[in-house]
Amino acid sequence: MIGPFTGLFHAARDPPRTQSAFMSQNTLRRKSVPATARDSGIDRDVFIMAASISGYTFSSVCYHSANSNSDHEGFLLGEVRQEETVSISDAQISSSEFVQIVEIHNHEPCAQLFSFYDYAGKINEENLNNVLKDRRKNVIGWYRFRRNTQQQMSFREQIIHKQLTQLLGVPDLVFLLFSFISTANSSTHALEYVLFRPNRSRYNQRIQLSIPNLGNTSQQEYKVSSVPNTSLNYAKVIKEHGAEFFDKDGVMKDIRTIFQVYGALQDKVQAVCGDVEQSERVKEKLQEDVNQVKQQIALRKRKTEEDRRLQESQIVDSTSTPEVSTKPSETSFMSRITFQTPSAPERPSTSPNPPSYTDLLSQGDNLLSSSSTPTNAALLPRPQAVGSPGHPTPVSLATGLSLGMPLSLGANPVNTPITPYLGNGDGSSSDSLDRQAAGQEDDDEDEDSSEYENLVSEGARLPLVPASALAQGRPAALGPDGDARGSQTT
Amino acid sequence: MVMAVSAVHLESDAFLVCMNHALSTEKEEVMGLCIGEVEESRIVHIHSVIILRRSDKRKDRVEISPEQLSAASTEAERLADLTGKPMRVVGWYHSHPHITVWPSHVDVRTQAMYQMLDQGFVGLIFSCFIEDKNTRTGRVLYTCFQSAQAQKGSEYERVEIPVHVVPREAIGRVCLESAVELPRILCQEEQDTYRRIHGLAHLDPVTKIHNGSVFTKNLCSQMSAVSGPLLQWLEDRLEHNRRSIAELQREKEALLRELAVL
Repeated sequence: MIGPFTGLFHAARDPPRTQSAFMSQNTLRRKSVPATARDSGIDRDVFIMAASISGYTFSSVCYHSANSNSDHEGFLLGEVRQEETVSISDAQISSSEFVQIVEIHNHEPCAQLFSFYDYAGKINEENLNNVLKDRRKNVIGWYRFRRNTQQQMSFREQIIHKQLTQLLGVPDLVFLLFSFISTANSSTHALEYVLFRPNRSRYNQRIQLSIPNLGNTSQQEYKVSSVPNTSLNYAKVIKEHGAEFFDKDGVMKDIRTIFQVYGALQDKVQAVCGDVEQSERVKEKLQEDVNQVKQQIALRKRKTEEDRRLQESQIVDSTSTPEVSTKPSETSFMSRITFQTPSAPERPSTSPNPPSYTDLLSQGDNLLSSSSTPTNAALLPRPQAVGSPGHPTPVSLATGLSLGMPLSLGANPVNTPITPYLGNGDGSSSDSLDRQAAGQEDDDEDEDSSEYENLVSEGARLPLVPASALAQGRPAALGPDGDARGSQTT
Repeated sequence: MVMAVSAVHLESDAFLVCMNHALSTEKEEVMGLCIGEVEESRIVHIHSVIILRRSDKRKDRVEISPEQLSAASTEAERLADLTGKPMRVVGWYHSHPHITVWPSHVDVRTQAMYQMLDQGFVGLIFSCFIEDKNTRTGRVLYTCFQSAQAQKGSEYERVEIPVHVVPREAIGRVCLESAVELPRILCQEEQDTYRRIHGLAHLDPVTKIHNGSVFTKNLCSQMSAVSGPLLQWLEDRLEHNRRSIAELQREKEALLRELAVL
């Protein structure tokens, strides 16, 4: 049996006649249920909840999550309905059950984490409105996609949830948690999903989420033969009156009609698909343009900075002793080697005074924002996607690149595909899976130090990682929300 | 044992189409072909997928006919022209609704057979509609495999192949076309079945009306379960893109202003 509400209608002892009455509303209405202690005004025991999400919306969330390097989050738009099922049986006069149905119609992905809240989990309502705009009234919940984490809400998520409940005025706001896990060799991946209603009691928090689908396309319902009947009357009556159903060609009229409906619908699907395709290409092109302009700005800034330094050093040289002048260029030469920024192929090699680390850091913010937009990283797999054993060391990444990834980025080749991970989904994941599988803690000293080195060398690329986490040398221990693990409380 | 394939990179928009397809029905296995290219590094890069009809709908009979393979090759050529990249059929995928993600013995043998024609051919399986009633957790899994014999003549076994979904922020044209093929394929299947039934001469009018109604009912199911949600998703995506375009436009103008000043 298919359908999201299978099993909800309980069988009374005698076969009941059931009827459902639909009442569409956004707030819940109780029907003569004993008052309980004040909470969100909902009596838990009476309500059964069912939730559904379309396969296309579900896939879309997976798609957006796959495109993110870090955790991904967004809002769930839809409708919460209440159905009252009245079962009438001979044994009872009438009993009704309230079924609350959560229908997720659509999702609104957030372009990045922390788009409407800060590190402490405090929501900025203005930012929230910017994200949601006019869809705010349709929000029934929110979702989060995390890699390699447990199926429970983090502390920050709980804080955010409480605030969202208040700000959006949805007493029974739901939270959909996607958790992604892979085998050590990345041949098999699992996506687990749980729908929570955190505003309810601890014991009743999870709702089964169903994905309505075509179900049975079996063609066994067609009859290949008629029930034998020798009655001439029968044959005559059904022929005479049944003729109404068929047109002059002997084809059933309904068939033509429904086929027309289908045809019109498919035409519309095709047309909208064409529009979508166009919009994808426009979006792609604009993204490329934006990246290019950012590059040009970065280049122009660096050039002016170098020109300025050149002028300054010329002034200095003309007034200082020779020893002093060689030292700055040495140290800045060293800093140039250690702190290579990834996407700077046009670095002028003839400049005597390459930018210092601090300059690169400030540039790093620009570069980060430019490369965090997907097109740069879009054509490259995440470091762990290159099949490396787990550590995104520069060596293995370079190897990954030489494996012939399609770097058709035009004038913007990215030399190292290092992208900042704000979640647990960094390069340590496959190893941590191994360790988890072996029941060990991820406390391996050597491994962490190499990851630390990676992060230091990409220091310009991770302005969002708290300095304390880096100092601990345990970037792999960052919790899913970007907190250092120790600070997370449950 | 050195396999001909070291890893599979599945573009996220192709992954999207696979997921759409796998989640379209929980009552039977769906299948399709993967189009892409194999790089020198022995990495199979999948750019898009083609949804296929299953002629034999018996359980665990997920096989591709030579005609389908041929049609898919033609499609791959068309894609090659479109994208300017050398595309061909590089693998197949199918779904395992309610069952484990691992390939069955039949799957492993089928895969082995394809590998005889092309040793770089890979298999993907999507397992969905897995529900744990106790924890109210749902699961979707996917795996990639090839087949190998330990020794000549022995039973074929599954070989795990690493698979990664490669980010692609914009959905490719080919993937969109594949996605909207699904309702068409479903309708085609229904029409073919109905035509066969309708051709039976000895049915009385009531039976014919019954069969006509079954057709109508089935088409209605397809429209409400597939076409409708598909159209909704397309509209949502269009809206999302329009907003992104407006934002990007603003960003571009602001950046150009900044550039002009420097």
